[in-house]
Amino acid sequence: MKTIVTIFRKELLDSLRDRRTLITMVAIPLLLFPILIGISSRVMMSQIKKAQDKVLRVGLLTNQTPQAFQSMLMEREDLRVIEYLTLEEGTAFVQSDSLDAFIAFAPSFERDVMELRRGGVSFIYKSAERRDIETDRVRKMLDAYSTILREARFKRMNLDAAIVNTIDVKEQNLASQKERLAEVIGGFLPYLFIIFCYVGAIYPAIDLAAGEKERGTLETLLTAPVGRMQILLGKFGVVTLTGVLSAGISIFGLYIGIRQVREIPPELFQTIMSILELKSIVLLISLLIPLTVFFAAGLLSLSIYARSFKEAQSLISPLMIVVIVPAFLGLLPGMTLNEVTALIPILNISLATKGIIAETATTWLLVEVFVSMIALAGISLYICSKIFGRESVVFR
Amino acid sequence: MITVDNLWKTFKLSREQKKELARTKTNKTVDAVAGVSFTCRPGKIFTLLGPNGAGKTTTLRLIATLLKPTSGSITVSGYDVVKEPLKVRAQIGFLTGTTKLYERLTPNELVKYYADLHGMEPANFRKRKEEIFSLLNMQEFANRRIGKLSTGMKQKVSIARTIIHDPAVVVFDEPTVGLDVITSRTIIELIRSSRNAGKTVIFSTHIMGEVNLLSDDLAIIHNGKLAYQGTYKEFQSQMKSDSMEEEFIRLLKEAGA
Repeated sequence: MKTIVTIFRKELLDSLRDRRTLITMVAIPLLLFPILIGISSRVMMSQIKKAQDKVLRVGLLTNQTPQAFQSMLMEREDLRVIEYLTLEEGTAFVQSDSLDAFIAFAPSFERDVMELRRGGVSFIYKSAERRDIETDRVRKMLDAYSTILREARFKRMNLDAAIVNTIDVKEQNLASQKERLAEVIGGFLPYLFIIFCYVGAIYPAIDLAAGEKERGTLETLLTAPVGRMQILLGKFGVVTLTGVLSAGISIFGLYIGIRQVREIPPELFQTIMSILELKSIVLLISLLIPLTVFFAAGLLSLSIYARSFKEAQSLISPLMIVVIVPAFLGLLPGMTLNEVTALIPILNISLATKGIIAETATTWLLVEVFVSMIALAGISLYICSKIFGRESVVFR
Repeated sequence: MITVDNLWKTFKLSREQKKELARTKTNKTVDAVAGVSFTCRPGKIFTLLGPNGAGKTTTLRLIATLLKPTSGSITVSGYDVVKEPLKVRAQIGFLTGTTKLYERLTPNELVKYYADLHGMEPANFRKRKEEIFSLLNMQEFANRRIGKLSTGMKQKVSIARTIIHDPAVVVFDEPTVGLDVITSRTIIELIRSSRNAGKTVIFSTHIMGEVNLLSDDLAIIHNGKLAYQGTYKEFQSQMKSDSMEEEFIRLLKEAGA
């Protein structure tokens, strides 16, 4: 054990003095979320504000627009009304982006409304988005006008406007905000943690095995009176630690990132903060540890087999897909943790994390995930030690 | 003391190697070491001389327990390399010409690391380190990163690393490969001082000058077999050619025929 600690300490010191390890382990996970969240929230907010503040040019047909509606538009400071003679003319201006919207009331509109029919209105705009802040503003004006006309119509007939509502639905969603949030971000978070675990472990795994082989220091190390298993466990400890640390640091980065955004509604903010509380983070990290052990053993096996740093990189890079796909499957709606999915590596971690955030995962399933991952980690470590023990691999 | 008895080491050929050798050989294996026996005595330098690919490195790796013999036996200070590899490793210091060091550590850290791997007592380690560092004039760069040191300085660190645990047996595999005359000199002095300290020394080379400078006992290895074995003095007195180099080539030809 003392020897393993000696090797672990040396490998850790060696890795921490390497700038590249520090970048992949600390800098990227720490800065990615704050930068990503900061930039995207700021860009989004400024876009929304720009769309809200913009003065929209709305075209109307001369002589064919009800006076009441026209004055409604004129009162608004964020709208500019321009009149046109024909529908074709207005449409052409919308097409060429000279107008933001064009509203053409049918010639018979006011008579139709008076005679209890529906009045026709053409609303012409150009927007690729389904929900567009700009056109919504104009659409709301039409809705408001429609309400005014309806109320006037009911009043004329001596009816209460409320009679149009036939049923009164009282909705009550018993899913907690955490559960609803888990559906949205619950799949996404573990996806990132899993990737950070893997990416954080890649560099030291390559450096401590293939790198040592390439630099010619492995041979000397093997002549020291220590067992290969001890050497392996020492290295392995460092790879696992960097993987878990890098995922842990990314959680911390996420926390900082969310704190700096002020536009989050306070209720949502409270929920997010309660997800990031100590208990769930400890639970998350304890799930990530066997996962990282599994990653570390797999990565070290390949890295030991490789002759050089480059060869190790080319062996390991394509494996990213193998990690991403099951992690991504956890994002799909309807995917939940059950007796079967709890046994599928990576996917189970993804789903268990989702379950922890939503507080729906049962202890029994979490234990199943934990035990299956530990068994898998043990098997992969055993395979790794077998590979490390083969002289044809070490002196390849 | 090292005793090697009827040592064999057979390697499986890789696919590329098979392709290369397809015309000349049909077997899937190659005997890197084929029935080699010799003894290295304490207080003597045993030289293993041979051309590239003769089996020198394989033999030394077998002694250092980096490889396992296919058959035959090796004992180092009485310990069998297969049965007690850890005890064998505790006895030896191993230095090759291609040995590199951890560039991100300092000489102090590196030597301490190997001392710890050898389970040295702290007091013993300090005393021994003090001796070696002052002998090799290493104090001034003991706390600089190894990556920033000159080749000569690095070589001194390698030496300190090799002998920090005061090994009874020292194995040098072509230790002066790629070094200039001055740096080679520190290695040659190390080999001599190891002998004078009563250690068993085995070193491999293909440089005649080093054979002449250092050898007490000599073995010439070619195609995994010993072409000559005896004391260096006997070798010199039995020479049938004018120079050592020609005698070496003559012996190789004889062995190859």
